[in-house]
Amino acid sequence: MTAPVLEVEDLRVDLRTPRGTAHVVNGLSYTVGAGETVAVVGESGSGKSVSVLALLGLLPARTATVTGRALLDGEDLLTMSPERLRQVRGPGVGMVFQDPMTSLNPVLTVGRQLTEGLRAHGSLSKAAARARAVELLGEVGLPDPGRAVDRYPHELSGGMRQRVVIAIALSNSPSLLIADEATTALDVTVQAQILDLVEGLQTEHGTGVVWITHDLGVVAGIADRVLVMYGGRCVEDGTVDDVLERPVHPYTRGLLGALPDLATDDEADLATIPGTPPPPTDLPAGCVFWPRCPVRGDARCETEQPPLAVVAAGTGGLPHRAATWCAEGEAS
Amino acid sequence: MTSPAKGGPAEGAPDVLVSARGLEVHFPIRSGGALRRTTGVLRAVDGVDLDVHRGETLGLVGESGCGKSTLGNALLRLVPPTGGTVTFDGADVTRMRRRELRELRRRAGMVFQDPFASLDPRRTVAQTVAEPLEVHGLHPGRQARAARVRELLQLVGLDPAVAARYPHEFSGGQRQRVGIARALAGEPDFLVCDEAIASLDVSVQAQVLNLLRRLQRQLGLTLLFISHDLSAVRHVSDRIAVMYLGRVVEVGPAAAVAAGPQMPYTRALLSAVPLPHPELERSRQRIVLRGDVPSPSRVPSGCRFRTRCPDVFQPCPDVDPALQPVGSAPGHVAACHLHGVVGTPVERERPDAPVDAGDPAA
Repeated sequence: MTAPVLEVEDLRVDLRTPRGTAHVVNGLSYTVGAGETVAVVGESGSGKSVSVLALLGLLPARTATVTGRALLDGEDLLTMSPERLRQVRGPGVGMVFQDPMTSLNPVLTVGRQLTEGLRAHGSLSKAAARARAVELLGEVGLPDPGRAVDRYPHELSGGMRQRVVIAIALSNSPSLLIADEATTALDVTVQAQILDLVEGLQTEHGTGVVWITHDLGVVAGIADRVLVMYGGRCVEDGTVDDVLERPVHPYTRGLLGALPDLATDDEADLATIPGTPPPPTDLPAGCVFWPRCPVRGDARCETEQPPLAVVAAGTGGLPHRAATWCAEGEAS
Repeated sequence: MTSPAKGGPAEGAPDVLVSARGLEVHFPIRSGGALRRTTGVLRAVDGVDLDVHRGETLGLVGESGCGKSTLGNALLRLVPPTGGTVTFDGADVTRMRRRELRELRRRAGMVFQDPFASLDPRRTVAQTVAEPLEVHGLHPGRQARAARVRELLQLVGLDPAVAARYPHEFSGGQRQRVGIARALAGEPDFLVCDEAIASLDVSVQAQVLNLLRRLQRQLGLTLLFISHDLSAVRHVSDRIAVMYLGRVVEVGPAAAVAAGPQMPYTRALLSAVPLPHPELERSRQRIVLRGDVPSPSRVPSGCRFRTRCPDVFQPCPDVDPALQPVGSAPGHVAACHLHGVVGTPVERERPDAPVDAGDPAA
């Protein structure tokens, strides 16, 4: 692997709320290599979306405190001037959000929204930008791109709209693509199309991808590495095979056990995780998962925060790590 | 609590509680002008034949816009069908009068998708759950009603002490439990769950799925489980029905449909479901369908899946396929000419059924 595209180190995000300070992200570190896909998984409120919004400076400055380092091609996103950040969004990082209806402007044509980014970051003439927009729409598989470029978002289906959003995100050939629940609002057949598309474009351009999702099935299909978030912390990471096939953290195990399996004929009840995630304003002192943990095998669980430690050598030259006191003896 | 079967089913034949025959729900498409002329027809449900057997969980799957919610609503006459019939326990739902309809509303409950939108934020849990009791005059008297509310809350796994609280004090999963308690208040025989777990987190989804299965066994409920999540449907259902563009295109025992789908659309749909096993995912052959679902206002002639079907052949545009027995499992049917050309020939004169309608290349 060459130099990483993105290096996040000890990222922390605090949000000021009427109910006190919410510790939404608490010390997150990961790297994304060129052409690599890192999946960030977790349930609502685990801090996965906030962690990437913080990278791009998209959190309200008045209420959010972001600390740590986030190097994009060696340059720290968190200390960048707003002007520089604006230059980086687009050619440096492209972002795809969950809902293509709300992330597109309903009163502007698809072409207008595509050329806006192209012209802001390049010296393309109006005609050249339009030609490039048509080309991009073709690349993301929109039928008849020459006509689609003059359409409004409401004239397109959900899958088509998400293709447009992806085209916009990729229009300046970013080195990093961040997708936040990009296929969650789509049907499975359309999701399959979009996943194929992103994989193809990634191979072609060597883009690093951060894919945020709660869907472990999607993760299994596209990710090289997985990072499981809970209570704003990374509780387990490793290669996709290690984390999904040999999960160590009780939370990861719980998540996988709660999934109904299409492939097996299982009449048993699904495993559930009792209780609800802790509010970010009031995180437990010890292990974040402790109050809901079915194992709770260690005296330290309640009082001492477990570090993210190597639990197995791991496959693909990457260590398999988990933040739990209960891993010893179970991982082998 | 289920009433004895009226008439009694024939030997060996399944006991049918709810039945649709040729069911149609068409909506007029009107022009925006002052005259509001009808310029087209949106065929949300377009000739559905479907039986729900007493005591079973029937999973209804399909993509957004295929008409599965409209079908669920039409079975309970929450939208008026424009054609065909629906019978509930032998009685024709489409001709019911007000009094009979009210009894239907008691005997058939509904659990909705969004537990945030489907509960009144200004009513306490007790008021919400007690409303069906008041409407149907069940458990009269304040004491009896409160006791019944407590019983219902316990049944869905909530602490009866929460009765005085308001919806905003609950998490999504708890709200959905309140919604289920309300649906069960009238002691229904039939429960329609329309995307009841779609807005919940994975671990909470599992709790609600387990609850629905437990209630179904405990109370002998008949369940129509509408969802786009095939894994969840596979897990809870005895039988699965697959819908595409307003029509049921395959029905069968859950295991048979999941393991041996007989209609190319079902095959594509199942292959697109991502599984949480990396090795399996890498080796799996995903069938990626071309294009989008055609608009229900421009339904292709003949087989409505033909514009995206990888196996399309000569009779597909000309004969509208009927459900026919397929595979080896009893009761497994599919509407597909690959199993033999069975169906109604297309009348070419019909102006609203152009041969090329909905072609993705068009």
